[in-house]
Amino acid sequence: MASASAMCAMEIELNINGQNRRLDVAPGVTLLEALRDYAGLTGTKYGCGEGQCGACTVLIDGRAARSCILSAASRAGRKIVTIEGLAAGQALHPVQQAFLDHAAFQCGFCTPGMILGAVALLNQDPNPTASRIREELQGHICRCGAYPRIVDAVRAAASEKAAASERKVSRRG
Amino acid sequence: MEYKRRDFLRILGSGALLALPLRGAERPVRVRLLEGGAYEAFTGKVEMGQGARTLLTQAVAEELGVPVKQVRLIMGDTAIVPDDGGTWASLTTPETVPAVRTETAAIAGHPITDPARWKVLGTPVAPLHGPEAVTGALRYCSDVRVEGMLHGRIVRPDAYRAKLERFDDSEARALAGVQIVREGDVLGVVARDPHTAARAAGLIRAEWRAEPLPPVDSLGEQFRAKAVAPVEVKDTRYPPLIRAGDVEAGLASARRTLSQSYWAPPIGHVPLEPRAAVAEWHDGALTVYCGKTAPFLVRAELARSLGIPESKVRVRISMPGGAFGSKQRGECELEAAILARAAQAPVRLAWTREEEFRIAYARPAGLVDIESGVDSEGRLVAWRFRNYNAGAPGLRPPYELPHMSNEFWRSDSPFRQGSYRALAATLNNFARESHIDEWAHLLRRDPLDFRLAHIGDARLKETLQRAAERFGWGKRKPGQGVGFGLACNIEKGARLALFVETEGQGPGLRVRRMVAAGDFGAALNPDNLRNQIEGAMIQGIGGALWERLQFDSRTQLTRRLSQYRVPRFRDVPDMAVEIIDRRDVPAAGAGESPITLPAPAIANALFSATGERRRSLPMAI
Repeated sequence: MASASAMCAMEIELNINGQNRRLDVAPGVTLLEALRDYAGLTGTKYGCGEGQCGACTVLIDGRAARSCILSAASRAGRKIVTIEGLAAGQALHPVQQAFLDHAAFQCGFCTPGMILGAVALLNQDPNPTASRIREELQGHICRCGAYPRIVDAVRAAASEKAAASERKVSRRG
Repeated sequence: MEYKRRDFLRILGSGALLALPLRGAERPVRVRLLEGGAYEAFTGKVEMGQGARTLLTQAVAEELGVPVKQVRLIMGDTAIVPDDGGTWASLTTPETVPAVRTETAAIAGHPITDPARWKVLGTPVAPLHGPEAVTGALRYCSDVRVEGMLHGRIVRPDAYRAKLERFDDSEARALAGVQIVREGDVLGVVARDPHTAARAAGLIRAEWRAEPLPPVDSLGEQFRAKAVAPVEVKDTRYPPLIRAGDVEAGLASARRTLSQSYWAPPIGHVPLEPRAAVAEWHDGALTVYCGKTAPFLVRAELARSLGIPESKVRVRISMPGGAFGSKQRGECELEAAILARAAQAPVRLAWTREEEFRIAYARPAGLVDIESGVDSEGRLVAWRFRNYNAGAPGLRPPYELPHMSNEFWRSDSPFRQGSYRALAATLNNFARESHIDEWAHLLRRDPLDFRLAHIGDARLKETLQRAAERFGWGKRKPGQGVGFGLACNIEKGARLALFVETEGQGPGLRVRRMVAAGDFGAALNPDNLRNQIEGAMIQGIGGALWERLQFDSRTQLTRRLSQYRVPRFRDVPDMAVEIIDRRDVPAAGAGESPITLPAPAIANALFSATGERRRSLPMAI
């Protein structure tokens, strides 16, 4: 199966979760397809194929991007982070932990994209208001309607991050 | 080989492992002890985000007297789990939980645990799929991959309904590794990767004979014209005819009568994960991995359609990424099985969002005619309620009406229609709770007092009073675009009252605040119950304000998410939900009841602000 569609496969190299991955993909695949169908990273989800639902959100150089409307080949050389690469070993990212603590999901299908959208927001604004969170995550759909919990979780993650960085500062001091 | 279930712990405790399932007189195993002291439990129910995995694990753990983490629950694999029926109709809580408790307690050798002594049930155990959900490790049906798997794609007509006349597949065949499959109405391709499958399907030139579609606006008349009167049926979950007194005489003697019609269009479920299935044949036996919520029904459907015995079909469920009633049949699974049989290899078929919109079934459109009458004291005495096409759920009013006839008239729709969270209960509550509100205003009565005057059920009264107090009902006057409205019901044993504050009208109509009080009997998992109530109410805002599928005379126009508005972050109002936890009362399911009240509560609030009465959904268009 490795030589599948060998006639028309092309090789691309992507930096995914800190690793350089060489992938033999069909020409023209989206970043989402490259991740799910070739790199075996199925945590990134297909929801709509037109960048409307946010389920396919990944981080590219720290910013949220809709992988279903980006070509994979054009993202070579950029740092891509998927949900599988967010935790540091066994330690969950504060946003992941906050989603767990608030049960900020039901089916969880939007959760990977939602978490990465929130991480990107906190990269820009470490302490966003509830209304900023709603504004920034407006492009993410949760069909189960866990929205109020998601807002609470992101607020909690922001305070946790702020507290953690204060601890760091005070240790240094 | 037959064992009594009571023997399991003893036998398994000695280290023996039994092959599952046990055929013969005994049902499949419910619980077994593993080496090391952990337990495995089995259910035909499916987790789809509503909390069934956590709740049923709690039920098993409670009766075994062990912590939740010592129980691993296997769900929805038809080869090894008991058939607990489809995961629908809010039945997991009232039916499966008691069944599982009874069976587990019997195995453990004691009567079921008294609710007063619960240690695991009644507590807010966090969703057990959470750790996998937040790390991306949770495997949904679209994430299933098997060895040697190929990828399928179905060629669809552009028309809503069409017969395949001829096709030219020469260009598609020229692509490396592509196979074309034609079997009956199914025309599809199989390729080594999904991208190539999609490309090949696009290269097939197919000619179809399209059937025309009637205008959606004319459906209501069609429903009335083709309707079949209901007859009384006893012992059915959704009786199509619920009567008391003599409604014709009641209407004839009423002091004043009111006659109105209410409408709901077809809407889509739009689960965030579109349908997907992997089908694998081995020696004439089929295994299908999918995300459906009725594994045994899908098994039966596949066996029937493929002409093989059910014993040759195994359906294995991976969690669906949302369902809401959409994932109960085996349409995508059958297509995958046909492709896999022809390709002689496992085939994965994942529907696109467009297929999910346009090939899947929708919530039935429906029309409700209500004719009602009051006596000289302003009491509702006669009530004739006719639902055409939408269905019988939610027909029974929570009000004391001496002469009533609540009727579901079966009809015929040109659209693919099927189950939907709460099904017709949403339209039936929209109609009933709007109509009650119309009477209150006609009679110059407060809509809350008017309802209370017609309700005998003390638990429903209490939810209304508690929610009203928390909302501050009657404290502020509606006007200047701001409206206040309420609705209440008893659905499947659940008592719920909802108060809303709206602003604006037309496309600008939005919900600012929602206050609900619910009595679902014993709250088996209070946090999950709250999550269900909040989520369903938010989902209900979509159907109330924006959602509808649109068609022209030959096809469905709504095909993409950008053409179909569902609730997003900014649409969510301030929310407060109060749960009345009655440990001594059997628990009612909460998956459906809360989606049924936003539409009427919003309609009633809109009327209070503007005097505009909307009797047709959606309201913000």
